[in-house]
Amino acid sequence: MKRFLARWWGPCLLLLAWQVGVQASGVNQIVMPHPMAVLMDMASNPLVYGRAAAGTLLVAVPGLTAGLAMGGMLALLCQFSAVMEYLLTPLAMMLSSIPVVAIIPVLSRLFGYHMTTLIIIVAIICFLPAFVYMHAGLRSVPAGSLDVFSVFGAGARARLLLLRLPASVPSCMTALRIAAPTAILASLTAEYLMQTGGLGALFRITTAEFRSERAFGCSLVAMVLSVCCFFLALHAERAVTRRWR
Amino acid sequence: MKYVTHFRAAITAAVGFAVILVLWQVIGNAKLLGPTFPPLSSVIASLTVPYRRHLYIRASLATLSTAAWGYGIGQAGGLAAALFGHLLPFSRAGLDRLASVIHAIPMIALGPLFMAVLSPVWAGTAIAAIGVFFVSYIAGCTAIESAAPTHRDLFQIFGASPLRRLWLLDVPSALPALVTGLRQAVPVAFLGTILGEWFGSAHGLGLLILSAMENFQIALLWSTVILCCGLSLIIFVLLGYVERIVGRHYR
Repeated sequence: MKRFLARWWGPCLLLLAWQVGVQASGVNQIVMPHPMAVLMDMASNPLVYGRAAAGTLLVAVPGLTAGLAMGGMLALLCQFSAVMEYLLTPLAMMLSSIPVVAIIPVLSRLFGYHMTTLIIIVAIICFLPAFVYMHAGLRSVPAGSLDVFSVFGAGARARLLLLRLPASVPSCMTALRIAAPTAILASLTAEYLMQTGGLGALFRITTAEFRSERAFGCSLVAMVLSVCCFFLALHAERAVTRRWR
Repeated sequence: MKYVTHFRAAITAAVGFAVILVLWQVIGNAKLLGPTFPPLSSVIASLTVPYRRHLYIRASLATLSTAAWGYGIGQAGGLAAALFGHLLPFSRAGLDRLASVIHAIPMIALGPLFMAVLSPVWAGTAIAAIGVFFVSYIAGCTAIESAAPTHRDLFQIFGASPLRRLWLLDVPSALPALVTGLRQAVPVAFLGTILGEWFGSAHGLGLLILSAMENFQIALLWSTVILCCGLSLIIFVLLGYVERIVGRHYR
């Protein structure tokens, strides 16, 4: 209990502040529902929330996987081709300095309002951290190991398979940790804008209809989903890094 | 030799950038990706058309001011939290957990909360501030711990007062990490602002993006997104220069 409180006092404090704030200020339930009312709505309509959350996960997980795969492949391509490196490095630099989620409207118009578009959007947004970290990971070989490989006459393939790929594993896991909450954020935002189902769309509809318990419920489910994804990725990263080093 | 490498890297980046722009123009002109992918020239034309100049300037100013408030509040909060965690070590684990929970919360889910508690104008500021808070907290924690322990020992041995140590050692060695945090928070502040504006602001680039998207005004959509990304990029690059100068002096 003590350990739990030492780690989680922040979120507990926030929940408490919400309940006390609503009761003290006496604002209308439509403007700001009680946490209890939101939890009741969630408990009595698990199917509605479950289906919406599943819809969001069905976008986020394939999108994240595709984005990581794409980033990894392009980082690998950069190892082999200088032209790709010239083309991709400025692109990655530029992407890291702009608010990427703001380009969702452009992408949604470009690819049309479908489920596949959602996945493409998430993949494009997750691609950046994947590319940056794996690109760095493939270069982060232990000092002197490249010399050892050349002394023993290893070819480019052996160098890649036995040295660069294993060296990049921790960076891959870091990319996963960074990209996991981003994937949820991207899929929620895309669903919100395109209204194609999932938590984002439910959230937009209920906000427009002033059903604020449901809207806050969606928000809460989205937060929990995203936080869970983040901590899962964090634990995976720690477990892998511990074994790898 | 170092300058030659820098020069080559800059040229390489410029060439890569130019190739991307040319590809954009060619693909747009040939309509390879359909009518919703306009060529670069028509986006620039839409960006420079005189009757929209006022619209762009007003929207940019609104977004910039919201983002600036969010950026300032978030930076102040993040640094204050980092300092708090440093001065009261028992709160550190909880603060770290709180920061990562806040980071993991999708910004868009905070919309209704801030719309309920604050006015639509301040919702964007609040979302931006929350995003910036995390970046600034991490940068602050790194910055505080960046003075080398051996240097601290040296100050101790020579009997320097804590204030003198702070001024001559801790602050200078914290600067590079702090400036990195300042730079990395820029796109986050813009992102939060745009999301806030999607929620029901009466002005700003976010609103312009949303209405152009829903009314199928493709050229306007692209030019507004480019404008927004351009603003973020310019501030990011400027802070990158500051970072390099600070790094040269204090590392």
